[in-house]
Amino acid sequence: MASVWRRLKALVTGPRRDRELHDEVRFHLDMEAEKYVRQGVDPDTARVQALRNFGPMTRHVEETRDARGVSWLDDCVQDARYAARTQSKAPGYAAVAILTLGLGIGANAAIFSVVNGVLFTPLPYANGQRLMILSHAAPLANQQNFGVSVKELYEYREQLDAVDGLVEFHQMNFDLLRRGEPDRVATGVVSHNFFDVLGIQPLLGRTFADADDDEGAEAVLVLGYDYWVTRFGADPGIVGQVFQMNDRPHTVVGVMPDVPHYPNSVDVYMPTSACPFRSAAERNIVANRRTFSGLQVFGLLKSGISFDAAATEVATVAQRFQQDFPNIYRAETGFQARTAPVLAALTVNARPILWLLLGTTGLVLLLACANVANLTLARMLRRDREFAMRAALGAGRGRLVRQLLAESTLLAIVAGVVGLAFAWGTLGVLTRFVSRFTQRIDAIGLDPWVLLFTLAVAVFSGLVFGLVPAMSTRADVLQSLKQGSLGSGVSAGRRRVQDGLVVAQVAVSVVLLVGASLLLASVWRLQRVDSGYRTDRVLAATAFGNFSKYPDVQSQLRLYEPLVERLNQLPGVESAAITNAVPLVLQNPNETPFNIEGRTYDPARRPRGDIRIASPRYFETLGIPVLAGRALTDLDHRESQRVVVVNQAMVRHWDGGDPIGSRLSANDGETWWTVVGVVGDIRQFGLDRDAVPQAFIPLAQMPTGLGGRIMVRSATDPTTLARAVADAVHALDPDMPVEDVQTLEEVRRESLATPRLTAMLLAIFAGLAMVVTLAGVTGVIAANVSQRTREFGVRMALGATRTWVLTMVLKQGLVLVALGLGLGLLAASAFSTALSAYLFDTPPRDPLVLLGVAAIFVIAGVLACLGPARRATSVDPLVALRAE
Amino acid sequence: MPPKSLDLLQGTLDLLILKTLALGQMHGWGIAQRIQQTSGEVLRVNQGSLYPALQRLETAGWIDAEWGASDNNRQAKFYRLTKAGQKQLREEQATWERMTGAVARILAVEN
Repeated sequence: MASVWRRLKALVTGPRRDRELHDEVRFHLDMEAEKYVRQGVDPDTARVQALRNFGPMTRHVEETRDARGVSWLDDCVQDARYAARTQSKAPGYAAVAILTLGLGIGANAAIFSVVNGVLFTPLPYANGQRLMILSHAAPLANQQNFGVSVKELYEYREQLDAVDGLVEFHQMNFDLLRRGEPDRVATGVVSHNFFDVLGIQPLLGRTFADADDDEGAEAVLVLGYDYWVTRFGADPGIVGQVFQMNDRPHTVVGVMPDVPHYPNSVDVYMPTSACPFRSAAERNIVANRRTFSGLQVFGLLKSGISFDAAATEVATVAQRFQQDFPNIYRAETGFQARTAPVLAALTVNARPILWLLLGTTGLVLLLACANVANLTLARMLRRDREFAMRAALGAGRGRLVRQLLAESTLLAIVAGVVGLAFAWGTLGVLTRFVSRFTQRIDAIGLDPWVLLFTLAVAVFSGLVFGLVPAMSTRADVLQSLKQGSLGSGVSAGRRRVQDGLVVAQVAVSVVLLVGASLLLASVWRLQRVDSGYRTDRVLAATAFGNFSKYPDVQSQLRLYEPLVERLNQLPGVESAAITNAVPLVLQNPNETPFNIEGRTYDPARRPRGDIRIASPRYFETLGIPVLAGRALTDLDHRESQRVVVVNQAMVRHWDGGDPIGSRLSANDGETWWTVVGVVGDIRQFGLDRDAVPQAFIPLAQMPTGLGGRIMVRSATDPTTLARAVADAVHALDPDMPVEDVQTLEEVRRESLATPRLTAMLLAIFAGLAMVVTLAGVTGVIAANVSQRTREFGVRMALGATRTWVLTMVLKQGLVLVALGLGLGLLAASAFSTALSAYLFDTPPRDPLVLLGVAAIFVIAGVLACLGPARRATSVDPLVALRAE
Repeated sequence: MPPKSLDLLQGTLDLLILKTLALGQMHGWGIAQRIQQTSGEVLRVNQGSLYPALQRLETAGWIDAEWGASDNNRQAKFYRLTKAGQKQLREEQATWERMTGAVARILAVEN
C-alpha cells in the first residue's frame, strides 16, 4: 500500500523532480569542470572532460527516474494516452469495436444483474440464510410439489429437533370492506410466529402474538406495505382501525415494512384463527384429512444445524408417515418430503434458464471479442511498420505487447460503459421476463456487484481481443522493415489465426442458432397443436361469491343456475356455461380415485380421473364434439338420476368395453353416477400435455361447491360481451367481483408466453451472434481482398475473368463458413439433448432444424463474402499494378 | 601518472555513499570527490551511476535530501544520513567486514 502511495506521489511530483535532477546534474558538471579549470585546463576542454567522466547522460537520468519507482505507472499513463490518440485517429475502427463489444458486454451485464439479483443476493430477512422450505412430492404420480396438511405440520413440529420454528402460510382471497366498498384482498394466512421466524420487524404496530391464535380471539390483521400505501395513503393512524371481513370485525394491529413477500405477494396477513376455513380445520383436527395439502411450511434451522441434517430428519419423519399410513402415502406414488433453503426453492424454476442465458451471452461476448480481434489483426497489417520502427528504436517486444493491450483495454472499458447503458435499458424487460419463473425479482438492479462484474468482463474482453493481435506482433523487426510495402501480403501465421477465429465464430453461432431454432420450432408446433376445443369467440371470466354469503351448494346453485340462464339469453351470446374447468388455466389435474360398478380393484390401483363440474352447454360453448351418447342437459337437475359425461381418455378404464350406461362412484359406492356420454379429449392442463382422463358432472348435481368460472361463446367479437357479462352477474349480486375477464385465445396465448418469450430471447441472442459472426467473415475476406489487390490485378492482366476472381474469393470465404458450420452442427447435436426437457414434439436433432440452420448459414455466408468478392472483381489491373 | 584506478565492486557504492554521509551532509559531486580522495585515488566512482544510487537510497528512506548553498554559494542538493540509514550503514559495514575477512583468510592460506 505504502509503495503504491509513494509511486502515485512520485507520479504527481514527477515533473518537479525531473527539474531538480536536471539542476543537480548541471551543478555536478559545473563542479567537475571547475576542478579541471583549476588544474589549468581550458574551460571548453574541461567541460568535455566533465561530460566524459559523467558517462551516458540519458541512461543515467532514465535510471534515476526508474529508481524513483515511477516507471511502470508512468508507462501505463503514457500507454493509455498513446492508445487514446491512436484510437481517435481511427474512429471507424474504434466505433465498430466499441459497439460490437458494447453489445456483448451489455448482454452479459444485463443477464448477470438478473442472476445476481435472483440467485446471489441474500434474502432481505434477518433469518434469510437459515430459512428452509418444507414440501411434499410424489414424483411417480407426476406431482412435483404439494403442500403439507395441518396434521402433518403438527407432527413435524413435534418430531423435528433441527428447527427452531415451523410456520405455515397459505393464500386466500377475501373481501375486505372499506367504508362499505368491497376490496378483494390477497390474504396470507400464517402462524402467529410467521414474522418472527422469517425475521421481519413490523414498520408500525406489532405482528401476531401467541394469543391471537387462541380460540375465540379477536380477528387481527397485519397490512402489507404496498397495500397500506396504495389503499390507505400510508396513513400512520391505521393501527387500531377495524374493517369487516368474512362478516367479522378485523382490527389492524401492524404494517409490514417494505420488504418483498415470499412465498407470494399478498395484501394483508391474518393469523390461522381468523381464517374461517383454516380455523374450522383446527377445531376438528381429528377429522382432518391428512392429505389436505394446502400449507406452505417454512422452518428456521437451529444455529449450527446444516440444511442436510435438517433434510435427513424431515425425511425420517416422512418415512414414519408412510409406515403409519400406507394407504394414504402410497408407495407407488413415490411420496417423499423435500427440504430446501428458501432462496433455492424460490429460484428453482429460474435457475436453469438464467444459466442458459448467461452461457449464451458469454458465447456472444466471445464472438464479439473474436470479431474485434480479427478487426485489430487486419488493422495490424497497416501498423506493422510502425511497430517495426518502434522496435528498431529500442522498444522491447513486451513493451509493444503492452501497448497493444493498453489500446484494447481502453476500447473495452469504453465498451463496458456502453454495455452498462444497454443493460440499464433492457433491465425492465428482462425483469418482467424472469418474473415468469420466480417471484424473487425485487433485488434485480445495477448494484456494485454488477458494476464490478461489468468492469471485470470489460477488462477480460480487452485482454482477450488484445492478446491475439499482440501475440502476432513480429519478433523479426528486420523482416518487417525489409518487406516494406503494404501489398506484399500478410504472414501465413496471422492468416491462420484469422481463419481459425472465423471458423470458431461460425461454429459457436451455429450452436446458438440451432438451440434457438429448436425452441422456436417447439413453440411453433405448440401453437399449432390441436387442443381439442375451439378458442375462437369465447370469453371467460371468474365470479366467486363471498363464501360467507354462499356457504354451501344450495346457496351457490341459487346464484349460478339463474346466472347461466341469464347469460344464455344475452343478445350476441351463442351459448354460455359455468364450470370449474377453463382450459389451460390450471396446471394440475385432480386425480380422484373411483370405482366402476361391478369391478373389484386393488385399493392402491384404482382408476383415477380429473372430475369437473359443467353446466349443460359447456361442450357446445367449447366446441367439444360428443362422440357417443349425449351431452349434459337441463333435464339433469338436482333431483334426477346422477349422470356423468366422460372424455375419451377416460374410456380406457373400461378396458375396451362401452362405458355408456355403466355407473361409477368416487366415494366408495355411496353415490353412483351413470355415464351418459363420451366427449372428445382436450388439452386441459397445458398444450404440451396429453389429455388426462376426465369426467364432467352437471352443475346442478355438484356434490361440493365452487363452480365460479363463466364461459360465453359470442356470435361476434367476444370482448364486446365483457360489460354485459359483468352486468348479468351484478344483477344477481351487486357485490360480486367479476375477475380474470379474458378470451380463450388470450388464455391460450398466455399459456405459451413463457416458452415463446424464452425462445425469442434466445433467438435474439443467436441472431446477434450470427450478425456479429457474418460481420467478422465479411471483414476478414474484405481485408484479404484488399491485401491481394495487386495479385488480382496481375491475374486479371494475365487473363483471369471476373467470374473466376469472384468464384475464388467466394470459395475462400465459404470454405471457412463450411468448416465452422460442420463443427457447429457436430457440437450442436452433442449438446442439444440438454434442451430436450424444453422441447415439445421436436427431437433435439430435428433434421429440419439442422438443415434449416445450415441453409441459413450458407446463404448468409455467400452474402457476407459477396461484397468483398465484387470489389475484387472491380480491380482495374493497371491501377492495381501502378499502386505500388 | 597516477596509479590506475579500480572500478567499484558491485554493491559497494551504496555502502561507500552511506559511510561518506556519516561524516556529515554533502552534495553529489562532493560525495564522488570524497570517495576518490579518501581511497587515495584508487577507487573511482562512475559519476553517472552515483545519482541513480542516491535516488535509490532516498527512496529506501536511508538518506534525506535538501537544497542548500554550496561553498561557492551555488544551489546544490545536500544529502544526509537518516536514522534508518545509520542502522543500514552498521549492518552493511558488518557484512562487508565479514566478507573481506573471509576472503582474506582464504588468501592467507599458504600453499
